[in-house]
Amino acid sequence: MLLMGNEAIVRGALEAGIRIAASYPGTPASEIGNTLAEVAKEMGIHFEWSTNEKVAFEVAYGASMCNQRGLVSMKHVGLNVALDIMEMAALRSVKGGLVFVSADDPSQHSSGQEQDQRWLAKQNCVPALEPSDPQDAKDFTVYAYELSEKYQLPVMLRTVTRVSHMRSNVKLGKLQKLEREAKFDFEQFSYVVAGFDRLFYGREREANEKIAKIKVEFDSSPLNKLAMTGKEKVGVIATGQTYNYVMDALVKLGAKDKVAVLKLGTSNPLPEGLITKLLKGVEKILVTEEPDPFVELHVKALAKDANPRVELYGRINGKLPGEGELMPLTVDGVIAEMLGEKLPANPRADVEREAKDMIFGRMLTVCAGCPHRPSIYALKRAVKAVKGDLHKIVMNGDIGCYGLAWAPPMSYEDTYFCMGASLGVSQGMSQVGVDTIAWIGDGTFFHAAIPALMNAVQTKTNIKVVVADNSVTAMTGFQPNPQSGKTATGEPTKSISIEAIAKAVGVEHIEVTDAYDTKATEAAFKRMLQTEGVAMVISRRICATEAIRKMRPKRPVPYVVDESKCVGCKLCLSTFGCPGLNFDEAKKKASIDPTICMGCGVCAQVCNIDCIHGRDE
Amino acid sequence: MKTIRVVIAGVGGQGTLLATRLIAETAIKQGLNVRIGETYGMAQRGGPVMGHIQIGEAYSPQIRPGEADALLGFEIAEATRRGVTYLKQGGLAIVNSKKMPPVEVISGMRKYPEEEELIRLLKRVSSRVAVFDATKLAEKAGDPIATNMVMLGALAVAGVLPFGEEEITATMKESIPARFLELNTKAFRLGAEAFRESK
Repeated sequence: MLLMGNEAIVRGALEAGIRIAASYPGTPASEIGNTLAEVAKEMGIHFEWSTNEKVAFEVAYGASMCNQRGLVSMKHVGLNVALDIMEMAALRSVKGGLVFVSADDPSQHSSGQEQDQRWLAKQNCVPALEPSDPQDAKDFTVYAYELSEKYQLPVMLRTVTRVSHMRSNVKLGKLQKLEREAKFDFEQFSYVVAGFDRLFYGREREANEKIAKIKVEFDSSPLNKLAMTGKEKVGVIATGQTYNYVMDALVKLGAKDKVAVLKLGTSNPLPEGLITKLLKGVEKILVTEEPDPFVELHVKALAKDANPRVELYGRINGKLPGEGELMPLTVDGVIAEMLGEKLPANPRADVEREAKDMIFGRMLTVCAGCPHRPSIYALKRAVKAVKGDLHKIVMNGDIGCYGLAWAPPMSYEDTYFCMGASLGVSQGMSQVGVDTIAWIGDGTFFHAAIPALMNAVQTKTNIKVVVADNSVTAMTGFQPNPQSGKTATGEPTKSISIEAIAKAVGVEHIEVTDAYDTKATEAAFKRMLQTEGVAMVISRRICATEAIRKMRPKRPVPYVVDESKCVGCKLCLSTFGCPGLNFDEAKKKASIDPTICMGCGVCAQVCNIDCIHGRDE
Repeated sequence: MKTIRVVIAGVGGQGTLLATRLIAETAIKQGLNVRIGETYGMAQRGGPVMGHIQIGEAYSPQIRPGEADALLGFEIAEATRRGVTYLKQGGLAIVNSKKMPPVEVISGMRKYPEEEELIRLLKRVSSRVAVFDATKLAEKAGDPIATNMVMLGALAVAGVLPFGEEEITATMKESIPARFLELNTKAFRLGAEAFRESK
């Protein structure tokens, strides 16, 4: 069956008989939750898009203490949010198998950083498994549950974007329902029953002892495969997905019999016996992994005893780049070098350079009809009107589609860091006398902003908060959030109101506007900027892509430019810049691409000579 | 069987993913191995997207530079951008002439290159380039959203894949919801026709 890496993980968890799954969306992990949302009802399991990753982890851990298997998934930085409870689950132990996916993103395809979360597995005595493809992803997940229950530890399934989004044929196993009675284990988890001292102290030693046992078990685990005849002079430790690059390189170089390969599927703890065997047998060794030299550093330490003269190739000695994904050609080159060969230089360098000079980079931007574009447009105008200069105030953005406010032609957003940070950093700036706006989306507001908002009220900090509310978690694929009024599996539930929360925590100035009405929104922003204390505007309108999805198979009615009126001033392009707009260089007139326009009509409000109209106007 | 490699290049929202999946599912039904790698950026729309399909034996989800048997370019600038790197010498490029100007062009920072310039550059890698306006054909079929099926129809009759029109349309019948099938099949046929005429 054709499965994406993320779908294969779900399949593995269902074959292992999970009872519960929880996630917070984030690329490249989102399809795990999307798939669970589709199948949860049919499979009779609970799935939820939790408010944030910490809650998700806690939900699954709660079920684990009642002897049920659970799955938690998130993008790598989500694990930072869940770290508090992950560490506790490792120390206090689990009962029902608890597997969590950290979907890492080397080279930052869709992330602010490429943090390698294997260090957190090491730091917290958590086993980490690294699949190389969708088949591994399925098989490793099934095994992760056995491992988790055998050692009563949570297990990290660590993927990278190339595995999360890889699709290939997967051989399936049987789906399983465990029918275990849900029962809290007082002996294992209750301070009263088990005794405080026994539960609270000395757990690090216990965790270390577990890892020491697992290390031995991993030497003979099918997750690690050593292909070695003893005649090779060169060896490669190919971790996770990089195994694919190594095997392709060996096929290309015709060097399969000259290179010993350890396919490494367990990066914490490392199978030290297997690595030692390989180190002793070869003269040169390469470690391939992404993005940090995590395994390599440990291999270097092991080499001190096993074979101090072995020549170590990898990221530490600069034979591979120190960060980022590996590129197949880079791996080809370094293996060729180890074999004493040299690959020809790129014959396409010239034509590639010409293409690079000729073709734009295609910057990201929010979609045609996106409600964030008019919100930014109105905010910029309001700040100019009230403050005189955009640099009289710092615009602190946050994580989501609206984070693209920095991109031209809007070019209006000074900072963005991590979920919810806009509200916190704005307060620090304000406390030292620098005016600020926190620019945050609805999903991010629920995820991480509420404590910071309470902080601002309690400390009487003068901050302005704009909630760019498109009513879905759009960037990751339209997952519901607490205000959507529906659960992950589509059941109706209460819709939680942002303005009610703000009011409850003591924000006195709250206005809600329609993002498509630029005049009203601009006026609301002006009032907000002129208010002392914590002031909030919620600029609301459903995500354009979601709106089009709901309207299908109908299509939106596009707007048109009245060419007899257009003077070719490009105001709509240079100040608003919707991807549906274009400029006809021959006619010197603006135009609207009917295949892209979604009929929001905001550009008609931007045009100051009234030359853009709806089809029936 | 020799491994068949196809690179799909386009812009987010053009439906490259569905085209990729239909090829892959058809291959699996023929008992062939498939490996697909996809690169898509942060935004749902507007950013460059690229899919790598390999049918037959392959480890890496990424096709190595200069090894693609065919390039399916959903947007002309993206076609040249990826083609010059991935298309093998003498490989086949099927290119939608549709221009989707990015924000750099819309806001006046950059010019959109001329079609002739883009094609000239692509032809330095391979002279086998078929260019037509697939989006216009999709509109003719009923909705520009079906551009992906026009492109797929062209690839189906190009003789690159180890299967053809019939096998892919059979997969379409299984995978596409009934209410969209007519539109998609019509677009697919128009794409096949356009490729045959481009020769």
